[in-house]
Amino acid sequence: MESTLEQHLDDTMKNPAVVGVLCTDHQGHNLGCRGSLSDEHGGVVSVLAKQAAALSKDPTDSPTVCLESESGNILVRSHGTITIAVHKIAS
Amino acid sequence: MGCCYSSENETQEQRNERKPLIPHPDPVSKPPNGTDWITTVPSARTDEQALLTSILTKTAQNIIDVSAADSVMMEQHEYMDKARQYSTKLAVLSNSLPQRKALALPSLTSQPHQVLASDLVPYSDVQQISKIAAYAYSAISQIKVDAKEELVVQFAIP
Repeated sequence: MESTLEQHLDDTMKNPAVVGVLCTDHQGHNLGCRGSLSDEHGGVVSVLAKQAAALSKDPTDSPTVCLESESGNILVRSHGTITIAVHKIAS
Repeated sequence: MGCCYSSENETQEQRNERKPLIPHPDPVSKPPNGTDWITTVPSARTDEQALLTSILTKTAQNIIDVSAADSVMMEQHEYMDKARQYSTKLAVLSNSLPQRKALALPSLTSQPHQVLASDLVPYSDVQQISKIAAYAYSAISQIKVDAKEELVVQFAIP
């Protein structure tokens, strides 16, 4: 059933720069997570994507939110009803 | 002997805490409005009737009949005492609760100038997250209920 998604998350984590990945629905319900991002981050991630999308007048425009730091970035992006967050460290 | 909800070891104070603010009217002598027929059940009861009566009695006990409690008014000072007692108890209990963990994303930076002065986010990263999101979306749209047996079963009625 959800094995394709689980496999996709595992494959994403195989990227050496990626230390965490999280998938939530539009209400912040955690659909799957790995590494440094855990299910308690689901709400924050989905709200960040939602608020960023509210900045744009074009409803089809889906922005990518990037939280930058010296050691790595957290990128957040929505696609349809889901939101993905990826924690990447500087490589 | 002790079991769940055992009230054997309760102190007078604890019992007082659980005393309802509106005392419950006796369900037999003063039934709630519209349930007078509880007492009219004939004495020769079948098991089913006894069961029904017990269900009714239980329901009647769970009803807080405000209209029947008109005569039992709580004194003002008694009410204030109870309010004070509850708020003291709440304050004590909330102090002993463990602090809720803050829902923060992983710690990012203590040196913002360094981050702001650094290069822009590589476009490849943005493309990568777009790809991951699109793939995850397609993976989720593949999730469907895998029905292995009939949900509705016909009973073979002879």
